[in-house]
Amino acid sequence: MSNAILVVGGGFAGITAAIEAAELGHDVFIVEKSPWLGGRVAQLNKYFPKLCPPSCGLEIQFQRIRKNPRVKFFTQAEITALSGCKGDYTVKVRLNPRRTAPHNVDFSLLASSLTGKTDNEFDFGLSMRKGLYKSMPFAFPGRYVLDTKTLSKSDAARVAGIRFLETAEEPREIVLNMGAVVVATGWKPYDVTRLTNLGAGAIKNCISNMQMERLASASGPTGGRIVRPSDNRAPNSVAFVQCAGSRDQNHLNYCSYICCMATLKQCLYLAEQNPNVKITVYYIDLRAPGRYVNVLEKVRAEPNVSFVKGKVADAGQAAGDRVTLTVEDAVRGEKLTLHYDLAVLATGMQPSLAGENPPLPLPMDEDGFIAGGEAAGIFAAGCARMPLDVTRSAQSGTAAALKAVQTVKGR
Amino acid sequence: MAQCILKPDLQFAQELRESGGENLKKCFQCATCSVACPLAPANAPYPRKEMVWASWGLRDKLRGDTDLWLCHNCGNCSDLCPRGARPADVMAAARTIIYKELTSPSIVGKWMSRASGLPVLFLIPTVLWLVVWWIRAGYNNGNWFPRAADGRIVFGQIFYGDYTIDPIFMLTFFGACFILYCGVRKLWDMFRPQGKLLVIGKKKSWFCHLIDVLMEEVVTHRKFDDCEDGPITGKAPSNRKWGHAVLVWSFAILAFVTAVVALGHWGGKIIPVIEIHTPMPLTFPVKILANIGALMLFCGLAVLTARRVSLDSANHGSSFYDWYLLGIIWLVAATGMLSQCFRLADAVKPAFVVYYFHLVFVWMLFAYLPWSKLGHLVYRTAALVYVRMYGRS
Repeated sequence: MSNAILVVGGGFAGITAAIEAAELGHDVFIVEKSPWLGGRVAQLNKYFPKLCPPSCGLEIQFQRIRKNPRVKFFTQAEITALSGCKGDYTVKVRLNPRRTAPHNVDFSLLASSLTGKTDNEFDFGLSMRKGLYKSMPFAFPGRYVLDTKTLSKSDAARVAGIRFLETAEEPREIVLNMGAVVVATGWKPYDVTRLTNLGAGAIKNCISNMQMERLASASGPTGGRIVRPSDNRAPNSVAFVQCAGSRDQNHLNYCSYICCMATLKQCLYLAEQNPNVKITVYYIDLRAPGRYVNVLEKVRAEPNVSFVKGKVADAGQAAGDRVTLTVEDAVRGEKLTLHYDLAVLATGMQPSLAGENPPLPLPMDEDGFIAGGEAAGIFAAGCARMPLDVTRSAQSGTAAALKAVQTVKGR
Repeated sequence: MAQCILKPDLQFAQELRESGGENLKKCFQCATCSVACPLAPANAPYPRKEMVWASWGLRDKLRGDTDLWLCHNCGNCSDLCPRGARPADVMAAARTIIYKELTSPSIVGKWMSRASGLPVLFLIPTVLWLVVWWIRAGYNNGNWFPRAADGRIVFGQIFYGDYTIDPIFMLTFFGACFILYCGVRKLWDMFRPQGKLLVIGKKKSWFCHLIDVLMEEVVTHRKFDDCEDGPITGKAPSNRKWGHAVLVWSFAILAFVTAVVALGHWGGKIIPVIEIHTPMPLTFPVKILANIGALMLFCGLAVLTARRVSLDSANHGSSFYDWYLLGIIWLVAATGMLSQCFRLADAVKPAFVVYYFHLVFVWMLFAYLPWSKLGHLVYRTAALVYVRMYGRS
């Protein structure tokens, strides 16, 4: 039997759940797949409701983790098996090697001197990273990762003798005894290569909304300048393609909830950087829930943003690496074929577990969202349950923490 | 400001749903379909506007809509439709209802609209040809399966061309032509916009436009290629061009053969040189052409049937109209070929029975043509001509 709580996933929902449970006096273990905590929020430029940079809200959460000895976390960790029952789960966790010393060492000079490169998954392929890397300046834990696969021959020779690097570190497996589980595995952007009629990700300067966040982010590939990936020029005309894969039975058969607001937010990024930019948002319905309607009103008032009702259903490459979009303006009944410097596909959120076979006894709906499982002492939080914005994700983390606490308490 | 009052006709919407457009209410007007359709013009593209008219049951809007007939039913819109509302099926259902209403007597259209009407449709020609058989059997001394004097099987012994087949089929054919003519007149009246139309520049007669449509679209099946130019749906393309084209060409060949034989037969009575005797020997050029036509008919049918069977049922439906037409052509082709085989194999009873059914099915094909899906041969052509006359193509 155990009174400890396992939190799967170290994104905003997961860390909120962990902190809330720990602050109520429970031991909590976070298992995070990536090398750092913060999840998708860490990749954003700004986030709702206050449009602050991610470092702002995450810093507070990281502080609370640092100060609370009851929260322990494993990064680059994956659950390989879970057995037992409510109140007494045995969890096997595989810890992938980080290969750097367990205290913060500044490897920035060494990293910049390396030559081997690979696509930077944190920037969704918009930049390259080295074999020794830290994806964001405010990363927590603030440790680098040594990815030996990306090292070139000369890199390997260079890092060979360095103290604080353990090139030969192997994966390990640990076993934990847990009373309850919070699953906050989050979401992944819908795979654009499946959107065949929108170019399947092969059109130059046709990016996804998450790539847009990276472009706008001060810690992103362009230092926050929104430019076309093909030539690094600021775009003068930008189109947003809403519902790119969402509300579509051929792709995600539900509304992803956040894409409209993400687009409105990104309109503000663009207008701020270039007052001459012309932006068109192509939508089916604009969804600005609750008080977010104020943001919609604000963006509507922008002179350079126009809204057209109609879903873009065809995209292609035009001369000068521009993007051709075809859409029917459903109000005027006119089929438009227009060229843009940059097109942004507002792709939706798909639960990370969709298409995966997680070693957790989770009832999932047909879209891959977790539906139920609470009787077994397993509680879903955040976007693993349904598409949510950051605020509601945090709320659902707190809710899951309270349920988990009630499960392990009083026994 | 002029006020426009929408009068939703729920019964019409229901009718559309029953005729194959059952998913039309799933449409949320995203306009994907109008982009998915490479044939839809930039100005007032289809089928999104038809979808909203359909769900409101705006009968008059759909009746006056030429775009319904510009659609060649490739199904791109249904493939890309995010809600599975199947715009292609709704367009087809609207066309079906228009055939039904356009063509009088409308009772035939009612029988044609569902499988339960099939027995009546079938019974009429079976009785008709049975009576003919019975009368002619009387002429052959009560022998229902007579042979000619030289022992051959000659279908003319029973179904004597001059007095039975020719008058009945001529009546049927010209009757169908007349019904279609009235239908086309009505269709054009429905299309005609209110007010006056001013055409600047040279005006072509409808006949020239008809020749253009036949040469540029019907013979070449060009629009079927254009259908392929839509956005990439990511689904296996199912080009219907060759199946459909081969079928249309085979119809043209068989129509030509029939005309030649009729001319040879009736004309031969006046000018003996051009007389043609039936049954024609297998090596006779007209007979060779007829058999080539029949073979092409089989090939085209097989391709189209295979395509319809393999359609992804998640996005595409097949209505009774679709199956009726494919079915009746299959039966015509099969009984036609089989009766020839039995005749050559000297099996007298099967030969006559199969030939009898062949006549039944051929009669069904022609007599019900104006109400069946085959009506599109005439109505779509008429609509395409109209569209050219009014400059939307």
